[in-house]
Amino acid sequence: MRELSIEFCGVKFPTPFLLSSSPVSNTAEMIARGFDKGFGGVAYKTLGGEHTKIIHPSPRMRGYDYGGKKVIGVQNVEMTTDRPLKDNIKDIKWLKKRYPKHVVIGSIMGFSKGEWRDLALTVEDAGVDMLELNFSCPHMSVEGTGMKVGQAFELVKEFTRIVRDCVKLPILAKLTSNVTDITEPALYAKEGGADGITAINTVRGLAGIGLDDFIPSLNVYGRGAISGYSGPAIKPIGLKCIVELAKKKELGLPLSGCGGAETWIDAVEYLLCGASTLQMTTSVIRYGHRVVEDMCEGLSDFMDAKGFKQVKDIVGKALPNIHETSAFDVSKQGAASYDLERCIGCGQCYIVCRDAGGQALEWDSKKRRPVPDDEKCYSCMICSFVCPVDDLITFKDIKGKKPYTPKPSKL
Amino acid sequence: MKKSLRKTNLLKSLFDVEEGYSLTQAIAEADRCLLCHDAPCSAGCPAETDPGKFIRKLRLKNLKGAVRTIKENNILGGVCGIVCPAGRLCEEKCSATEIDKPINIGRLQRFLVEYGWQIGFNPLIKKPANNIKVAVVGSGPAGLTCAAYLAKEGYDVTVFELNKKPGGILRYGVPSFRLGEDFADREIKDITALGVKLKCNSPVKGKGAVENLLKKGFKAVFACAGLSLPYKIDIPGAHLKNVTTSTEFLKDAKAGNHEKISRLVKNKCVAIIGGGSVAMDVASTCRALKADKVYCIALEGMGELPAYKDDLLMALDNCVIIKPQCRVKEITGKGGAVAGVKGNETKWKVKGPGLFIPSNAEDVPGAGFSLNAGAVIIAIGSGPDSRLKEQLPKVKFTKRGLIQVNKNTLATSAKGVYAGGDIVRGPALAVDAVADGKKAAKAIMKSLQGGK
Repeated sequence: MRELSIEFCGVKFPTPFLLSSSPVSNTAEMIARGFDKGFGGVAYKTLGGEHTKIIHPSPRMRGYDYGGKKVIGVQNVEMTTDRPLKDNIKDIKWLKKRYPKHVVIGSIMGFSKGEWRDLALTVEDAGVDMLELNFSCPHMSVEGTGMKVGQAFELVKEFTRIVRDCVKLPILAKLTSNVTDITEPALYAKEGGADGITAINTVRGLAGIGLDDFIPSLNVYGRGAISGYSGPAIKPIGLKCIVELAKKKELGLPLSGCGGAETWIDAVEYLLCGASTLQMTTSVIRYGHRVVEDMCEGLSDFMDAKGFKQVKDIVGKALPNIHETSAFDVSKQGAASYDLERCIGCGQCYIVCRDAGGQALEWDSKKRRPVPDDEKCYSCMICSFVCPVDDLITFKDIKGKKPYTPKPSKL
Repeated sequence: MKKSLRKTNLLKSLFDVEEGYSLTQAIAEADRCLLCHDAPCSAGCPAETDPGKFIRKLRLKNLKGAVRTIKENNILGGVCGIVCPAGRLCEEKCSATEIDKPINIGRLQRFLVEYGWQIGFNPLIKKPANNIKVAVVGSGPAGLTCAAYLAKEGYDVTVFELNKKPGGILRYGVPSFRLGEDFADREIKDITALGVKLKCNSPVKGKGAVENLLKKGFKAVFACAGLSLPYKIDIPGAHLKNVTTSTEFLKDAKAGNHEKISRLVKNKCVAIIGGGSVAMDVASTCRALKADKVYCIALEGMGELPAYKDDLLMALDNCVIIKPQCRVKEITGKGGAVAGVKGNETKWKVKGPGLFIPSNAEDVPGAGFSLNAGAVIIAIGSGPDSRLKEQLPKVKFTKRGLIQVNKNTLATSAKGVYAGGDIVRGPALAVDAVADGKKAAKAIMKSLQGGK
């Protein structure tokens, strides 16, 4: 296994993988077991002020399945820690003592300026290596807290500044994707003195509605709510946010990615898009800490295969290939190419091409095979994703092909 | 790559090998795995191949890691994936059985090993040579495994094999339609890639020959020659032409003497004596060679046959006729060659487990039978070569002629000589032999390091 350490905001992480601030970082004991499996650090579950007593709704979470696939997403109504501050401080101290080389990030969320300051000083005192300011919890109903801060950019700056002024530790601002442009609050965080950005927190969503009682499927004694949604289904949103932040020249801060990562491939994608570390919760909810063993092993094998010596060499490698759509060269056109020798005759390509694509296929009902027409095909490639045979339908470039548009219907 | 699993067990030829999973098929199968906390599949593998771990790795797209888990734990993981009676091992207690059916672990294991070959990924890293020489006598699954793990740790290992090609029972005892020749060769290549020297056509013969290897610079010897001597049956007609043993028959089938065995069974009725997996393999082979009618005559009842379910089903799918609870008493001849068999139906004198033995069977009065048969194949197992004792004069043997060992280290009573596989266990599985090979390699390393 390769050495997988990386420096992030001046702090050395044994591996780039972190348990994010969530139910999976609720106690030192569970975090310690995560460290043993390969997590390099933790954003400890968000600490709040003692003035507001946290009582969690019951039940707290709802899995979202798709077909036979379990938990492609999770809707939750989790809040900040409900444990007493002194217990959490003891746990943080215990962790730092037992795992001095692992990184403990103190995640905090104040309900007032004073609380932000007090919490920052308390966790600094407990021995954390970094701070993460939670500007993104989607379940805080009080104005001026959680995601509401992340949506009111001046507050992002103000609270970051308060913490910046009282502690020396590196500060991360954890942002919500529930905004139009995530780079805006990021720039405010930078102005406030943040050293790095964590993105994203959960995306607001609704997993489903009961068809008998009309109550959301995350049913808290007869009531439901729009709340945080996470898991593999949000990975594209997380990657998008990391790319936007990484490409924002004025920002120039290191990034901690978060959102839907489950496999080493997801992890490498986050790194390629510009994240230096990667946080996760839902994958641990689904599989347990063992996901990180495969992330470490997979990343190490990937580095061997591609000749990367250090994890940092991967960071941002995909960014030069990510453009605005206006930059595409539309003078080149291709079509879906069919390896009909291997076709099994299910006809799904024909159905979708006809109903959702370019009507570029005919159906030979005697042979039970599609008949492609390169000229009519506008390479939406829908057929390729519904085809059950691996790589039977692939994209091919056609030299000199003119874009095709359907003819009007005759009156 | 399009791959299709065999849709029917009906064999078209002797080489009708079933293809393995494609990546998509493997992913779909791994998706059914429940990723149990205390994976019963892993507990069920004698060689500790750890399916619980490699399936999880496959599930989490860590395919190279999955290949690594298999090959580090079981150098013959591909072969075991094919020949293991998984239903009795890893798959037996699979939790998914409670939902639907067990995960097809054997096939996933085979797929991953083949996938590693396909992408050119070899997870086994050889340590620098330590110039300590170890000899392995026999290149069956026990010997190959022991040799591989010693070589990986830097030992200079030579394997002595009597036959033309390496593999032992895998080479000469498993029919081609089950384990393709190319597949076995490819997996053995992983072992020679570790620097193991395979010396075929190299019998270690003569008085004390195996023990004497210790005087020729080898610091330890692992004896694993298997059970090469087929048991015969002492009934009238056993000497007739066209009476043979399963060992010889399957060896001919694998060694390429197809004309010879084809002549023996094609368009004939064949009576096979025995009801174990080997008898079923012989029966299916006969059918693949276009034998007209094939009988398996067994002392056990239908539910008591020692054959593994898959092997029995394969024989049944190939229209083999099982004659349960029957005993052959005479092979009848005409002009010196087999013309048929005569026997009687039997029942057990006393019922109970462990009592399926010839001395407990008695004839059912008035239930004699005779069958027309052009060939008789005796498939009642095999024992150790009688010359073995001569080659290992300092080693203690059991009454059955098997080698006595310390169960923890596989050390024999002769210092520096270890033994494993069927020669110690009696007839056992390839995966048991792999387990022995691993155990012996560990013990040999421990003793040699301790002696430094």
